[in-house]
Amino acid sequence: MTMLRIRDLGVRFGGVVALQDVSLDLNRGEILGLIGPNGAGKTTLFNCISGVIAPNEGTIHFEGRSLRFAPPHERARRGIARTFQNLQLWGSMTVLENLELPIDAIARRNTLSDALGLPFSHYAERAASERARAIMHALDLGRHAHQLAADLPAGIQRRVELGRALAMRPKLVLLDEPAAGLDARETEHLAKLLHKVRERFRVSMLLVDHDMSLVMRLCDYIYVLDFGKVLSRGEPSAVRNDHKVIAAYLGEATPETASDGEEAVVVTAEPRLPRTDALDVARSTSPLLEVKGMAAGYGHLEVIRDINLTVQAGEVVACIGANGAGKTTTLRAISGVIRPRAGRVMFDGRNITGARPGHIARMGLAHIPEGRGLFPRLSVEDTLKLATDASGTPGRLEAAFDVFPRLKVRRRQAVGTLSGGEQQMVAMARALLTQPRLLMIDEMSQGLAPTIVRQLFQMIDVFREQGTAVLLVEQFVESALAVADRAYIFEHGSIAHDAPAEELRRDRDLISGSYLGSAPDSTEVIEVAANGNGNHRINDPELMEILSLRVPAEVKRALEERAERQGRSAGALALELLEEVEHTQ
Amino acid sequence: MMPGHIVRFAIAIVAFAILARLPVGLDPALQFDAALAIIWGFGILSLVLLTGYAGQVSLCQATFAGVAAYGAGMTVASMHGGYLLGIVIGVLAATVLGVIVGLPALRLHGITLAIVTLGIALVFDKYVFQDHIFDWFTGGTGGWQVTQASLLGIPVDSSTHLLTAYDVMLALFCLVAVLMVNLHQSGAGRRFRAIRDSELAASTMGVNLTRYKLLAFAISAGIAGLGGSFYPLIAGSVSPQPFWVFTSLQLAAVGVLMGVRYVPAAALGGLFMAVVPDVLTRYGHGTFMNRFNYEISYDWFQLAVGVLLVLQLILLPDGVWGDIRGKALRAWDLVHMKPREEVRPA
Repeated sequence: MTMLRIRDLGVRFGGVVALQDVSLDLNRGEILGLIGPNGAGKTTLFNCISGVIAPNEGTIHFEGRSLRFAPPHERARRGIARTFQNLQLWGSMTVLENLELPIDAIARRNTLSDALGLPFSHYAERAASERARAIMHALDLGRHAHQLAADLPAGIQRRVELGRALAMRPKLVLLDEPAAGLDARETEHLAKLLHKVRERFRVSMLLVDHDMSLVMRLCDYIYVLDFGKVLSRGEPSAVRNDHKVIAAYLGEATPETASDGEEAVVVTAEPRLPRTDALDVARSTSPLLEVKGMAAGYGHLEVIRDINLTVQAGEVVACIGANGAGKTTTLRAISGVIRPRAGRVMFDGRNITGARPGHIARMGLAHIPEGRGLFPRLSVEDTLKLATDASGTPGRLEAAFDVFPRLKVRRRQAVGTLSGGEQQMVAMARALLTQPRLLMIDEMSQGLAPTIVRQLFQMIDVFREQGTAVLLVEQFVESALAVADRAYIFEHGSIAHDAPAEELRRDRDLISGSYLGSAPDSTEVIEVAANGNGNHRINDPELMEILSLRVPAEVKRALEERAERQGRSAGALALELLEEVEHTQ
Repeated sequence: MMPGHIVRFAIAIVAFAILARLPVGLDPALQFDAALAIIWGFGILSLVLLTGYAGQVSLCQATFAGVAAYGAGMTVASMHGGYLLGIVIGVLAATVLGVIVGLPALRLHGITLAIVTLGIALVFDKYVFQDHIFDWFTGGTGGWQVTQASLLGIPVDSSTHLLTAYDVMLALFCLVAVLMVNLHQSGAGRRFRAIRDSELAASTMGVNLTRYKLLAFAISAGIAGLGGSFYPLIAGSVSPQPFWVFTSLQLAAVGVLMGVRYVPAAALGGLFMAVVPDVLTRYGHGTFMNRFNYEISYDWFQLAVGVLLVLQLILLPDGVWGDIRGKALRAWDLVHMKPREEVRPA
């Protein structure tokens, strides 16, 4: 039976079309995968289903009833729970409280009775806390029960979010990138966990994730979104081999569509000849940038480890790999935005590990961050002047306008009002004006139309001709490899491969493997026991089932105590006891 | 009742017993300060719920108190009945206003909400409390005179029975404080706190934002009003001055200073707001070493609050009470060799 039925959904933000004619069906008990490149509209779809934003057109039916006029909390009561890509836990509350809240938010509670501590509230409170503890047990969160959610490492926070979603007895759980920031082993663990959750809690799931190995393994059916439309759908194996999907992910050069007034720029398709002369000269001296054994992360989470990479003077190097593989973090650690936790960063023969970002920028290492790092209210001219003033070479804006003539026309316009492509040009022009020796660009083509992207890639060549080395982080793999000399392939926080770009262009399997998930390696059996947070196994899904039947706390404790004495799982014991009861009856 | 509830009530009763003895035998001016401290204590307590629990900003808590004060004054002066009715009318008026002020909060956050509530405080100060159009409500320039009043038959008017009024207010304060702590630890309190931490998550996890935001504003205004409705009783009359804009700002500032997430901080803050300026102006003048004349005025107090607030934000980010409590808990754990687990605000 169709549980969630979406028809012709459309969402526009101003002039930007986020979703268009999206139709989707999800059956009871099914895990549906939703994949697509950045900005494809996956999270927007989630927001529509959970009621955070209202679609411009189209309908959403859940269990046969329209959700059009249901506010978010009403949808939660009907059984739609979700997690968030950027974690949205209640940070100042303990994990236990985080799990208790959805339970009693569903049951209508009385504020006055709560304040007076009347028996009614007392019982509700105990029921909530019991179910919360049962869920914590199933998700192996017991030891964190009384810790504040904000103090936990991101990996555990994701698990708390999952637990919180399950706490409200949902029928459908929307999972927004549950594996973001997890390493291969944790992802493996998560896959098993989700599988178990489906079995035990009997929920349907809609799963968005960039980790294709997870999506391919877990999902019964997959929808692929691209630019707000359903690009393809089907069983995992079919989607995996769909050339349209591969093209959308890897940015394969598709036949030139009718160019809409943009000057069509054709990227040189023939393999670039290795510029041996230049490279040999560079190699004889020390490399411009040398990173050795670098590790970095945020909070408790280590995102990258053991990164070794070099960039020679005048070389264009691409970093490719799936989202969350650690590319952006690598750039940030190099440019000093975050402090490396281990290892060494040498630039131009000097050690810049952990130096202040301003200092590193003045040495000639420019970093265009993801999202471009522009000031939306500043005009184009002021933005560029800011760069020349800072670098001590004022007044040479013409150099930038020569390269980007379109910016000269728009020089008085506020940067925030420019199109995405023009904004990227401003960011690149700004970097150009500081005359960097090495330019690091993060996700240059993110959210941009293909024609603009081609133009921007041509600019990389301009930088190369000026003798500037470029370190690129890119989702459009084909284009990146066309312009780069070498490439590093990132996988789960470290560098998996390192090869000349030309070689990688020929070896497409290697790349599609790193993006769409390599075939599961049968030789490597990953033990679930050590999940990075302790040695507890989730061995008691049965217990979960029984506890959800509202066993009194005393009985539960007695069960656990007896199980411990006998050295067996409490769930198994409980099942046995239940069977005994049934036999005697 | 759970064990927690019994402990809380026991603490409240002990606190009441101690605090009720404090102003006995002091001179009447200080007794008035003690009663005023409870009124401002209620004001800050209302912020503990609204800002500390639910995360909503409000710079018009003194307006709620003022509306309740005028409502109570009007009722008592015009009906000559018991004071209880005055309190009921006053609290109701404040609660209604609270719901109205809460409406913009459904859409606004942070600084914009602060400005809107500040605007409401300004409007009420200038165009309600001080305007002749509302003489029926404010009693004109003289305000309402409350010389004779009784609560359930007990005389509580300020001239002779100030301490009786003080005891009644203190009992109510202790009661409301306990209810607030209960609320914090219960399902409803968790919902308020969820709104503070992440509205997005709260709404998608089943919390009705409209309902709980309005509820927070209503309860908060009611608490502020409960304090305010006693003002005519202890002062003998109502005037706009105690409830002007600056008092609202001061309530917010002192609330943050003392720790806006903690109920006991309200008592500290109320005491601070009522007693310190009065003592300063009363004893803060004289001659230093027979040579330098000095005089500390009310302006100095305002300056001091500002400086203290800056210092507190740097040194005690969780407020005076919050940080002292946190340090005490940590010291306790160190002594008992327990690993630090959580700091629960209460």
